[in-house]
Amino acid sequence: MKPFIELKNVFFEYKLNGPDNLKAVNDVSMTVIKGSHVAVLGRNGSGKSTLARLIAGLEQPGSGTITVGGYEHDGGAASLEIRRKCGIVFQNPDNQIIGTTVEEDVAFGPENLGVPREEMIVRIDDALKAVGLTEKKKSAPHLLSGGQKQKLAIAGILAMDPECFILDEATSMLDPSARKDFIALVTSLVKERNMTVINITHDMEEAVLSDHVYIMSEGTIVRHGHPAEVFDDIDLLKAQGLDVPVHMDIAQKVSDLTGRARTPLADFTREGAAEDIIRMCKGISCLKTTEGDSTGKYNGRVCEEKTHETVLDVSELSYTYSRDTVFANDALSEVSMSIRRGELFGVIGQTGSGKSTLVQHFNGLIKPQSGKVTVLGFDTSRKDGIREIRKHAGLLFQYPEHQLFEETVYKDIAFGPKCLGMDEDSIHASVMNALEIVGLGEEYASKSPFELSGGQKRRVAIAGIIAMEPEILILDEPAAGLDPAGREDILRFVNDLADSGTTVVLVSHNMDDIAKMADRVLVLKGGKVMSCTSPEELFSENDVSEFGISLPVITEFMMFMRSFVPGLDVSGFTADACAESIVSVLSDGKVVSA
Amino acid sequence: MKDITLGRYYPGDSIVHRMDARFKFFISIAMMIGIFFLTGVLPFAVYAIFLMVLIILTRIPLKQIFLSLKPILFIIVFAFVINLFSYQGTELWSLGRLTITYEGLYSGLRMAARLSLLIITSSVFLTLTTTPLNVADAMESIMKPLQKIGFPAHEISMMMSIALRFVPNLMEETDKIMKAQSSRGAKYDTGGVVARARGLVSILVPLFVSCFRRAEELAIAMEARCYNGAQGRTKLNVMKAVRPDYIMTGVCLLVLAVVLFLEFVRF
Repeated sequence: MKPFIELKNVFFEYKLNGPDNLKAVNDVSMTVIKGSHVAVLGRNGSGKSTLARLIAGLEQPGSGTITVGGYEHDGGAASLEIRRKCGIVFQNPDNQIIGTTVEEDVAFGPENLGVPREEMIVRIDDALKAVGLTEKKKSAPHLLSGGQKQKLAIAGILAMDPECFILDEATSMLDPSARKDFIALVTSLVKERNMTVINITHDMEEAVLSDHVYIMSEGTIVRHGHPAEVFDDIDLLKAQGLDVPVHMDIAQKVSDLTGRARTPLADFTREGAAEDIIRMCKGISCLKTTEGDSTGKYNGRVCEEKTHETVLDVSELSYTYSRDTVFANDALSEVSMSIRRGELFGVIGQTGSGKSTLVQHFNGLIKPQSGKVTVLGFDTSRKDGIREIRKHAGLLFQYPEHQLFEETVYKDIAFGPKCLGMDEDSIHASVMNALEIVGLGEEYASKSPFELSGGQKRRVAIAGIIAMEPEILILDEPAAGLDPAGREDILRFVNDLADSGTTVVLVSHNMDDIAKMADRVLVLKGGKVMSCTSPEELFSENDVSEFGISLPVITEFMMFMRSFVPGLDVSGFTADACAESIVSVLSDGKVVSA
Repeated sequence: MKDITLGRYYPGDSIVHRMDARFKFFISIAMMIGIFFLTGVLPFAVYAIFLMVLIILTRIPLKQIFLSLKPILFIIVFAFVINLFSYQGTELWSLGRLTITYEGLYSGLRMAARLSLLIITSSVFLTLTTTPLNVADAMESIMKPLQKIGFPAHEISMMMSIALRFVPNLMEETDKIMKAQSSRGAKYDTGGVVARARGLVSILVPLFVSCFRRAEELAIAMEARCYNGAQGRTKLNVMKAVRPDYIMTGVCLLVLAVVLFLEFVRF
């Protein structure tokens, strides 16, 4: 079969200011058969996005050839034809919508291709129907949700009669349910039309859907093959800073504990992993080692109501956007909750459940309309306390790197402390301390924040709040959009901050992160409190889907395991803890600490 | 922030709303030129009645119409006062060297009426009843003949519509950045000039950076969808005049003719 996409020894360089150019793509060859589903994985900056642009005809290779659907890139007419055949969906939903209405945006591609108006109208209707946006035809794009915007991008491509979708981290800015929706849509469209998909992603759950994965590092392909085979090499995944699918991670941990090897290629599916785990545990009477206690947490902080004072108290808080107008929209209704000193408090719920509105009350950005918010003894509705509150309760929004503005990292981090009126010496000390906490060396202090990588910018932005030495740190999705290694780093130091006594409020869509880190979790739905308890209790027996949230992936697998292993404790949230509880139930003997 | 509207477009489905924007554009220019010739009470009154009828047809509340006068209220009052005192003739009232005459009063009122009618005319035909996008499209269509002599009509219209498209995003972003910097202790409403200017920098720099980033990403997204300039491009929304457009234009021009007739042929 003739390949649909073929790359032969492709090189591509970005010109930099210095003497060396950045080799973004370095001698890459690949062939993709029509109708196949390819995943490309790798760290941020590994050249994945450049590869996508090269294939889509948006960049010209420095050397080597790229052939798509029988056309070879020439930077002219053939490249234009390739662009038509390969539709690309980018990461940021907002920055790829050109039209002022949904309909006009879908029309943009066909307009460029010179499609006659009558045919264009038919194509638009078909495309909108295929993605389920027919009712939004006349809407302005800013009124759509993130998930709908990405579906609009798909519709815009469909109207150009494409043969291939290229997804460039298209789901990384969506919440989990929108993500699932989007992938389901793409998968069904592709099947229907025998299209090819190239999905550049960090999400392992998406990657396992592919029939061939490529792992990129520093512009080269370090490994490729069927996902079952590539993912079986857990050491490789870890070395490349990628996530390991949880069931494989647990299987590996069980193998470490029992001293028995995993069955090669068996653990790719959940079923296979479960079977393999049970096999490895059979007849084991003694575990090799168990280190420390297995609370299933990064760390077990104890913040009892009796011993730990309340630092933040919300009572009967309600808030309505655009009150007294036809647009009135209840964001919060009768929310009561309190946070204790030193705890890591998780806030979860669907997009639009009121999380963001709630946390903006925590440092007085929003004044309560009814009800009361007390932060460290100050009432946020009073004007005189706001300064004190801002000093002690630091709030960081999503994608905080977008607020950087100074010439150097040092100055930017010092902005907050300066606004608070700290003196030069203490500013210097707190800036340096903050840099160290976020894991950036002193050499970064004099760099421009704009020349850093995405993950580093994120750390600088977080350091900007840490430098204000807040007693309460409120973080809205601090790790969103980063690659797995970057996300792990950030969550690690957030957890360390909580350990060292800072009260942390963590808003997140990632149930696994919340389960692992939080001491207590608040679940919001439609502006109401659904539950406020420990993650162990929340995720153990409840049917959480009625709260509009999903189980952590790891808990889902443990519940699946429990159908084979009755009496299994599913309250662990790390692979280590889960492996231990499985082994302790399955092994004949008791858990023996070494 | 989501319910912001651009300009002062007042949604509706009246005959004026539905009219081809190019025609509305021409009518309002013709009307505005006509208004400059008016001096008599009768022509003013007839024209005002005509506008009133149009306003009733559009179902736009009178409050909205008056709001459109607000930005130039000062100019209207200023013109009125200057006129009031700067004519010689039959004395009405005087205080020291300031004298108000009948002629002055009449001229002041005329000036105020003229300015108000100008604004109301453009509001009724354009700003209140036509979406900014339609205005942009009309401009492109009107400028199209100039394309032959190298005038970038398509590019200008594309730029206008993209700008319109991103206004809500940038407003949302400004709001977010302001809140983020406020969380870091920045103050925008208190402090001296220097402190405030510094505060402004902390908003503007991130906003510019974000604009550049968006522009870059958008350019690539446009290229990915085969954008290649105006060449060989078709359009979804073609402006096509229909019979009601011609009828409305005829009616408006007729009214204008009557008003001018009343002005120049005094009885």
